Amino acid sequence: MAGLPEPLQDLVDAFSRLPGIGPKTASRLAFYLLNSPDEVSHGLSSALEGLKAGITLCPECFNITLAGRERCEICSSSQRDTASLCVVEKPLDVLVLEKTGAFTGRYHVLHGVLSPIEGIGPNDLRIRELLDRVRNGDIHEVILATNPSMEGDATAQYLQKQLAGSGARVTRLARGLPVGGELEYADQNTLLRALAGRQEL
Amino acid sequence: MRLTRLSLTNYRAFAQVEVVLPRGVVVLVGDNAQGKTSLLESVFFLAAFTSFQTSQDNQVVNFTARGDDIPVTRIVAEYERAEKQHKLEIRLILQGGSAEYGTGRLRKEILLDGIKKNAAAAVGHFNAVVFIPQMSRYIDNGPEERRRYLNLTLAQIVPGYADDLTRYTRGLIRRNALLKQLQEQGGDAGMLDYWDELLADCGSRLISARDAAVREITALASPVHFTLTGMEENFSMQYLPALTQVEADLPGDINELHASYLARLRGNHRVDIARGTTSIGPHRDDLRFVVNGNNLADFGSRGQVRTALQSLKLGELQWMKERTGEMPVMLLDETLAELDEHRRAGLLESLAECEQVLLTTTDLDLFTPDFLRSGQIWQVRAGEIEISK
Repeated sequence: MAGLPEPLQDLVDAFSRLPGIGPKTASRLAFYLLNSPDEVSHGLSSALEGLKAGITLCPECFNITLAGRERCEICSSSQRDTASLCVVEKPLDVLVLEKTGAFTGRYHVLHGVLSPIEGIGPNDLRIRELLDRVRNGDIHEVILATNPSMEGDATAQYLQKQLAGSGARVTRLARGLPVGGELEYADQNTLLRALAGRQEL
Repeated sequence: MRLTRLSLTNYRAFAQVEVVLPRGVVVLVGDNAQGKTSLLESVFFLAAFTSFQTSQDNQVVNFTARGDDIPVTRIVAEYERAEKQHKLEIRLILQGGSAEYGTGRLRKEILLDGIKKNAAAAVGHFNAVVFIPQMSRYIDNGPEERRRYLNLTLAQIVPGYADDLTRYTRGLIRRNALLKQLQEQGGDAGMLDYWDELLADCGSRLISARDAAVREITALASPVHFTLTGMEENFSMQYLPALTQVEADLPGDINELHASYLARLRGNHRVDIARGTTSIGPHRDDLRFVVNGNNLADFGSRGQVRTALQSLKLGELQWMKERTGEMPVMLLDETLAELDEHRRAGLLESLAECEQVLLTTTDLDLFTPDFLRSGQIWQVRAGEIEISK
């Protein structure tokens, strides 16, 4: 059986490496580009080249930011509350929290969670930098906003122990029933947590 | 409780079959390898969401269906519980791997009354007790078989047990991975704290549920055994928790149990890191079956083992009834052929209490005409069922 010509196969392979893309979608994308006007593939390739060169990590919070900036937009803003810090797993989490508009402090991006199975320990994450920030800055509250998964909880608990004695108040995002959900569909664990975390009206 | 309707699609020998089930006894008769046991297995699947005869559930997917693009096995049951009708559907979808050899990953979808549930939430709604000849492996084989027996029985009856077991297992895998990591690369042992607490939390509930269930089932099984053996044998089942070795040393209070378990896990950090694995907990528990003070595994004859299992199963049946208020569906596979006439009569007599019994046999002569008249007889041949009476 004859295979695809090499340049096309290379592109299919490159697409297949992306998350959520299987071999069929990869070939469809590759053929689409092959049949499109040149501008489409040029646009894509210059966007790809600009991606790595144009993006860097903020040296303070480790969120992604434009290359060449000293600090990210949030860290350099004078409008943000410098006494409160929200710790998240990844840059996308900052984006969703920002969309709520409810948090006015600054962030710290860990770039992962402690994961025994994947062999990720404290030194693989931006944990030392977080501890330095809390110790050296005038931080009153650290909000731990890692995911409510086993690994996210383990990371939060580890951070909480490391931060004990720093003087900052350490809090964790509340957990319970999703808004607009139904009790009937909630699993037992979520219900138990919701019961334990019930609030006075 | 009882099944009222059962439909199987691509389940082992059954390409497609649908039956309406009566109250009382159904005798499945047929030669070997025609699908009798598969039918019982499918009913047990509704109770445990796993097979009673293999730990590789993907083998239940029909061989010819495995060639399809998306091989799906479907078990759909309607059942009556506390005079209410319910519907339970299990879909087993084979994904990836070599479909032909059944090596793919099996995805289970469970719908209870039309609502998708995970296994831990759906377990316990339909209950069954199974009695098959291979059960002598509870006694012959390693502790893993006995823990599997405890888990399949308790998950059906004790609320939260299945959930705790899932969380415990996931937590254990992570704690062990972390222990290996600490062993190989060193690091902060404080990272173990979260996993210690998680295991002690779920684990102490598992231990306490196992302890109570073993005592309750023994209390119900031993009078049965005493009668079956003509007042000659005392039967008991002993729980051997890895935590304290003997059941008697377990703290009776769950909070005390939790505290002492957590202290043991913390105290074991050095040993556990050196071994790269968690040395105590429910994953190392065992059971012992004892007749007249002797361990059945060491001293029991074949006949003694069979009788003990019969008592155990009848005790289990009563236990489920006491705990849930509902008689589970009883499933017996070829077990009658192994029993002598006296024991067979004893078994058939106690089955009269059940709302529904499904039993398989190759030989109808094992039953009295009266017994056969009381139930339905189904002929099972090459994946087809024919109601012959």
